[in-house]
Amino acid sequence: MTVTQSATRPVAQVAARKRPTARTRRDARTGLALVSPALLFVGVFALFPLGFGVYISLTNWPLVGPYHFIGLSNYDSLLHNSEFLQSIVFTLKYTGIVTIPIFVVGYALAVFVRANRPGTTVFRTLIFVPYIVGLVTESYMAVVELQPTSGTVNWALSKLGLVSDTTAWLVHTGQAMTAICILVVWFYSGFAMMLLMAGMQNIPSDIYESARTDGASWWTVERRLTIPLLRRWIALSLIISVVGSFLAFNQFFIMTDGGPGTSTVTVVMAIYSTAFAQFDVGLASAMSVVLVIVVGLITFIQFRFLQRDGD
Amino acid sequence: MAASATRRAPVTRGATRRRQPGKLAWFLAAGVIISAIFVVPLAWEVFRSLQPESAVSTAPSASTFTHLTFANYRTLLAGQDDIIRNVVNSLIVAVVTALLTSLVAVLAGYGFALFRFRFSGVAFGLVLIAFMIPFQAVLTPLFLELHFLHLLNSLAGLALFYTTFNLPIGVYVMRNSFMQVPRELVDAARVDGASVGGTLVSVLRPLVLPGIATTALYAFLFSWTEFLGALSFLTNDSLFTLPVALSNVETGTYGAVNYGLLLAGAVIAMIPCIVVYVGLQRYYVRGLVSGALKG
Repeated sequence: MTVTQSATRPVAQVAARKRPTARTRRDARTGLALVSPALLFVGVFALFPLGFGVYISLTNWPLVGPYHFIGLSNYDSLLHNSEFLQSIVFTLKYTGIVTIPIFVVGYALAVFVRANRPGTTVFRTLIFVPYIVGLVTESYMAVVELQPTSGTVNWALSKLGLVSDTTAWLVHTGQAMTAICILVVWFYSGFAMMLLMAGMQNIPSDIYESARTDGASWWTVERRLTIPLLRRWIALSLIISVVGSFLAFNQFFIMTDGGPGTSTVTVVMAIYSTAFAQFDVGLASAMSVVLVIVVGLITFIQFRFLQRDGD
Repeated sequence: MAASATRRAPVTRGATRRRQPGKLAWFLAAGVIISAIFVVPLAWEVFRSLQPESAVSTAPSASTFTHLTFANYRTLLAGQDDIIRNVVNSLIVAVVTALLTSLVAVLAGYGFALFRFRFSGVAFGLVLIAFMIPFQAVLTPLFLELHFLHLLNSLAGLALFYTTFNLPIGVYVMRNSFMQVPRELVDAARVDGASVGGTLVSVLRPLVLPGIATTALYAFLFSWTEFLGALSFLTNDSLFTLPVALSNVETGTYGAVNYGLLLAGAVIAMIPCIVVYVGLQRYYVRGLVSGALKG
């Protein structure tokens, strides 16, 4: 035992400074071996499909049968594909509608639960429950409750005299959008709350001391101190929410199936139906490439915008 | 003097924080109302699912409130849809994904945190890149790839797909966990002659257990609630996971939709999420914060 100890320590110290020894070489091999399963997964099921998708997008690949290269034809036809263009406009509109309410509600909730007062732990837990349960399950529930005459929503709102109990929420574009947006804000604001709250708790409390002694109002403190210090967290919360909205699929597939007509078809829905209903894998891949670029751009622009804003 | 005053500041702040009972009562009342907005709709659905189908397909009315029954659940689980099989499929995929993600993320986190090797920065960057690839965008090429690998229409293929897209956050959480372990502890174990694997199992395991819990919890909840991938990669009814099977219930048989069954199915889908979250929530929040800090 003692022999091993005295023998190994100097070796380790030398290894840190000088040429590679047997130990560091062995460590390097072990390190690489340890991370290789993760690299294999990511390479095979994420990076390869990404490159493969670009390749397919340059072909007229059908789901079955032979294919050949057609260059940028798929991209060219996307420019004239009214369903795809409409889905982009619709998805941007949807993203524009839900982003601000999610942020405002999430921020207000974060302010409410950020201090360690009695009850806050329980409130945080409960407000976060809709996010945990997931939008898919909640969309199914919403379908049941938004039915005319039998749904709870019409029952409650008609008791209050707000709508007729025969309102068919999921049949008209405007009403379907209203219902879905409210559902999504309710589902997602708990997540925004958790993120922003974590950011707020990261701000050292003594920063607020001078503001307090100056007698600054709550809103002034929030605007002048908290929001600037939260810049990165706000950016992160907006990026996650905007990208998530742009990738929306579940709630629309379950609640409207893109209807009425194709008025609520999102980009991901358009990709899904092009690939798996029309079997035009080449075109669907071109759409996916556009999606990756748009999502990348959204992320990049928001990062730049929010960083420049404060510097 | 000045130094001691500033150091005392946070303490004073805590002590002088207003604690009037009136204010606290208002805060608690507001908290109860706000929490209710988020929880009561879900509780209401549990209640509605326990009403007979005839009550679910007509407007809620006080006369039906006292009649509670498991009829919807019995019909759903015993019915032609064979929902039990779908629940089992979901459980298998979620548990396998959680175990596989934890295992691979533990190994990678160990490697990235405690071993020096060439290109480790590049390798870590590659893992994180997968975090920025929306899986929705690789759906079609992945469909073809899984087809070539004979992993289409297979729960194993679905679990491999879920594992991949849970790895970036998992590897990140595990690397942070291993980096927090005191270096001397690792060196001492190695000096004592413990192997790489032995050090991991006997010395490091208890220290990184919270990180493993976070990783497993994320992976479990992700795959339990995932819809689009399962919808695309599974075409055989008997392999459907629960969320996909419920879309069959939603479509109904011969145009007649049984909303009682749909609610019962949705409640079954909801229960594991709530149980797992309430039991392990401190790990969930930890992961959320450490994942966010990287951004």
